[in-house]
Amino acid sequence: MKKLKSILAYLWELIPGTKGVLGLAIIFCFIVIAIFGSYIAPYEKNYIAFEAWLSPSFTHWLGTDSYGQDILSQMIYGTQTSLLVAIVAGSITTCIGVLVGIVAGYKGGWIGEGLMRIVDLFLIIPTLALMIILASFLPSMGVTNTILIIGLLSWLYMARSIRSQTMSERESGYVEAARMAGMGDLEIMFREIMPNIIPVILANLVLVTTQAVLAEAGLSFLGLGDPSAVSWGTILSLAHANNAVLFNAWWWILPPGLAIACLCFGFILVGNGILDRFQANRGNAAL
Amino acid sequence: MGLNAGYILKRVGFALVTLYVAITVNFLLPRLMGGDIADTIASEMALGSPEVAAALREQFGLDNTNLFYQYKQYLVQLFQGNMGVSYVNYPAPVTEVMLSALPWTLGTVLIATILSYGIGWMIGIKGAWKSGSLFDNISLFVSFFLNSVPYFWIGIIMIMIFSFHLDLFPLGKAIPHDFDSLSFMGKITTIIHHAALPVISMIIASLAGHILVLRNNLIRVLSEDYMLLAKAKGLSNRRRKYTYGARNALLPSFTGLMITLGHVIGGALTMEIVFSYPGVGLVTFNAILNHDFPLIQGAFLFIAISVIIANLIADLMYPIIDPRVALQ
Repeated sequence: MKKLKSILAYLWELIPGTKGVLGLAIIFCFIVIAIFGSYIAPYEKNYIAFEAWLSPSFTHWLGTDSYGQDILSQMIYGTQTSLLVAIVAGSITTCIGVLVGIVAGYKGGWIGEGLMRIVDLFLIIPTLALMIILASFLPSMGVTNTILIIGLLSWLYMARSIRSQTMSERESGYVEAARMAGMGDLEIMFREIMPNIIPVILANLVLVTTQAVLAEAGLSFLGLGDPSAVSWGTILSLAHANNAVLFNAWWWILPPGLAIACLCFGFILVGNGILDRFQANRGNAAL
Repeated sequence: MGLNAGYILKRVGFALVTLYVAITVNFLLPRLMGGDIADTIASEMALGSPEVAAALREQFGLDNTNLFYQYKQYLVQLFQGNMGVSYVNYPAPVTEVMLSALPWTLGTVLIATILSYGIGWMIGIKGAWKSGSLFDNISLFVSFFLNSVPYFWIGIIMIMIFSFHLDLFPLGKAIPHDFDSLSFMGKITTIIHHAALPVISMIIASLAGHILVLRNNLIRVLSEDYMLLAKAKGLSNRRRKYTYGARNALLPSFTGLMITLGHVIGGALTMEIVFSYPGVGLVTFNAILNHDFPLIQGAFLFIAISVIIANLIADLMYPIIDPRVALQ
């Protein structure tokens, strides 16, 4: 318990400044909406018996869509999917990115060089194009597949960033000391170096989470999302497919985009706050 | 000076290896996904008829189950420029469909990237020169916000404002119905008129990245000793800002430009759907809707090849901008 408290205190230390706190507040709001979604939402999920194309009113704060669904309710349920994809895919990406980055940065030699050459190769090929080809050849697209595809394909840039940070850590005194003390490579990499670059990892984590939100929206818009799930991306994609612009249904178009923007904005603020503090302390941090 | 043979060979070699990897990924991924594509298509289009499945298998080169044999066939076909036949546009070959779509995408993406780089560059310099100023803070926050918005959403908003409400631009498409009857100048004007909104949307969507990278680079450069020396020497503000500061800050951002190119192409894919712009993105979208697998694969390969070539060109231009690169 005491340990947990000190970890929490440490994490709080990492997120400094007005920017970081503002970002955290934004993310926290969305998490609350996602968790209590079924209590907050005024109507049931996918309930379609309302009149279509209603503009915002007191009964339907964000109006209804062409199917007669209450958009506010859909938005609230969409928060759950979008956040889930963002957090899980972001975590997968971070695990791979940290692993590859630290190993490549610490080991150097042909392992490090080889790993980075592979990363460079795949960095050139647009990630979205890779995701499209993977998603379209899968027999079916569920939320799990969306998460896996985004999570497994987005770590390249992060691996580079972690690697360059690890390379500068490798030269530090404490690593030398650990080596002298007879620690193994694995122990040095993950018990000595990793805790020291936590801020860089966290900053990367929030960035890849942002990318995951945007990737999910993009895939859904391309018709490669889970057709049965409600997410901000699918709401936008439906709005476009049903010519919401021609019906002047701004209440169908603005909310999902603004929600995506606000959530990602929150993540970016937190990441930037962490990085500012780290740079001020260390004087070097490449992202 | 500048381009030496070793550097060129290395970059060309890297591009070729990347190309080979892209081709192999394109071959392997659909096969690793499991399931029989021929069966899937046959069940969707011909009630699962085994004859149709067999015919499709032969067409895809799947009739021989040896993976190496398939791979060889695939490479041979590819070198002859044969990527199969698109279902949606039957009997047009994939290569033909893609070649007619590619210029639209490349044109808009390249123009948008260059303009956005230039504009982002100027805003970034202005912000970094007086970092902490009101202008800097506003540009920083706006950049964060723009970085958080999906490309296609900006496109939809632009259409809503400028096409639907203000009626300044067409609602979509690249050319009007009566395109063939127009004069040469008329054709050019209408192409620009149609492309304007997609290009402006892409500029707005990709601007933020350039601003942030340039601003950070320049702030780092400004703290260098030679900047202080330049000031001590009494050089003009203008000279220090552009020839000393911006030029040095530009170099590291140049590689970033190429990474964003991949981003921008990804964004362009969704942007084209919004604008019904007849480029690679719209073709891919229709291919996905219709399960047109050869066309999806073709689109991937064309995107990969364009980005690889753009990267190679950038790599070869890099030593001209920064001669130090080729010496390493």
